[in-house]
Amino acid sequence: MGLPLFNASDDPGPSFFHFAQSTGLTPPVLSASATSAHATTVIAVRYQGGVVMVGDRQATGNYIASRDVRKIEAADRFTAIAISGTAARGIEFVRMAQLSFEHYEKMTDTTLSLEGKANYLSPIIQRNNLSSPLLVLPLLAGWDVALQVGRIFEYDGAGGCYERFDFSTIGSGTPFAEGTLRLGFNAELDRDGAIELGALAIYEAGDNDPSTGGPDFVRNLFPMIVTISSGGFQELEHDDVAERFRVINERRTLSGGVAGGSLR
Amino acid sequence: MSTYFYVAPEQLIRDRAEFAQKGIARGRSILGAIFDTGVVVVAENPSASLFKISEIYDRIAFAGVGKYNEFDRLREAGIRWADSTGFTYSRGDVDVRALANYYAQHLGDMFTEGQKPLEVEILVAQLGNTTRPTKLYRIAYEGTISDEPRFAVLGGDAETIKARFAASEDSLEPLTTTLKNAVGALAGPDRTIAVSDLEVGILEDRGERRTFTRLNDDQVSELLR
Repeated sequence: MGLPLFNASDDPGPSFFHFAQSTGLTPPVLSASATSAHATTVIAVRYQGGVVMVGDRQATGNYIASRDVRKIEAADRFTAIAISGTAARGIEFVRMAQLSFEHYEKMTDTTLSLEGKANYLSPIIQRNNLSSPLLVLPLLAGWDVALQVGRIFEYDGAGGCYERFDFSTIGSGTPFAEGTLRLGFNAELDRDGAIELGALAIYEAGDNDPSTGGPDFVRNLFPMIVTISSGGFQELEHDDVAERFRVINERRTLSGGVAGGSLR
Repeated sequence: MSTYFYVAPEQLIRDRAEFAQKGIARGRSILGAIFDTGVVVVAENPSASLFKISEIYDRIAFAGVGKYNEFDRLREAGIRWADSTGFTYSRGDVDVRALANYYAQHLGDMFTEGQKPLEVEILVAQLGNTTRPTKLYRIAYEGTISDEPRFAVLGGDAETIKARFAASEDSLEPLTTTLKNAVGALAGPDRTIAVSDLEVGILEDRGERRTFTRLNDDQVSELLR
């Protein structure tokens, strides 16, 4: 493409999405009414000092397409985006978000606020989901640099953005993960407690939802766990994650597969 | 009935060039230089928010002299071009030479066909890696593009500053030396520039994808000590 110059009146401003639309870089809007399942489980849990996100690694079509997909990505240093829904649209969505936040920063020499990032994504989700059967539903979590807290934003199918002050889940494993989170969450959770609870929620979802992959001890593949805090986006080391799931699995083996009415 | 006067093309070009040069000469100059591990761009700029030096992409920086509104629009176009090229292909496919050529074409078109030529001169710099070289391209108001091997000076006083900097340095030096020489060349023998009036941007590998940083006053003072 040539040098994209605009007059002051039709300049798309620092929004990369609006620029991409004006130059036809985004796929055309189709009209359709069918919906696709969004097989996945990703959860976000707020704790004192940040947010923990845990996501399963399985891509499911009519069969298991992949076991090591990364569904949580850093959108920038203090923001994470997780996706559920159609993989192709999800990946494009994450790329668009990552590039948009950086684009805004370069164009204006300021960083978007976390709330600004959350709101920015709404019309992109709306445009995709109301015009195509290839749904995508993201989950945004980040460290609010101005307020010095971790914050979680979830979306509905039409792009509505809602802040959650406790936890949020997306994907087909939601009922099982959410049950665990509802029983285990409290506002005083610390980082370790939130990781533990998040891992258990994914374990439950992987146990009961055919489209969510739990810990895979045979292939040594485990759900991914990240934290977003004042130190930024950090992914837990593989061995650390493996050990946490091993502990949960052994506990569950000892009880014969029964959670037993407590969070074990 | 209006009467048309014949103006020789030579005269027209001369007039336009003179007009652009006058506009550019009103502002302070900028110096971009390659140092042993990166590229540094130094500008004299009393404003701490209207920048002359900016990040275009992971390994590309931009600097402009002359009319702020004109080079700022070119800066924005450069960011858009780089971001959409990287989005369409891959981040590694964004190359400074293509951008420099687009800038040169646009400035050339404006010079010959525009209502008035743009009163700007710009510099685009690329930090090299295993697949691409470190590059400095200077693009003048009429679209002349020059590939500067070690350093480039933009602005009205370019020739004098160029001579001063060339005398101070003839091999790749560490950042502290290059920055000192650059500031010395911009200031000249009879004058010192306050740190608060300096804008310094560098491209340097720090183990991250993005290599551009704008140095704050404390960092600049530290380096100039």
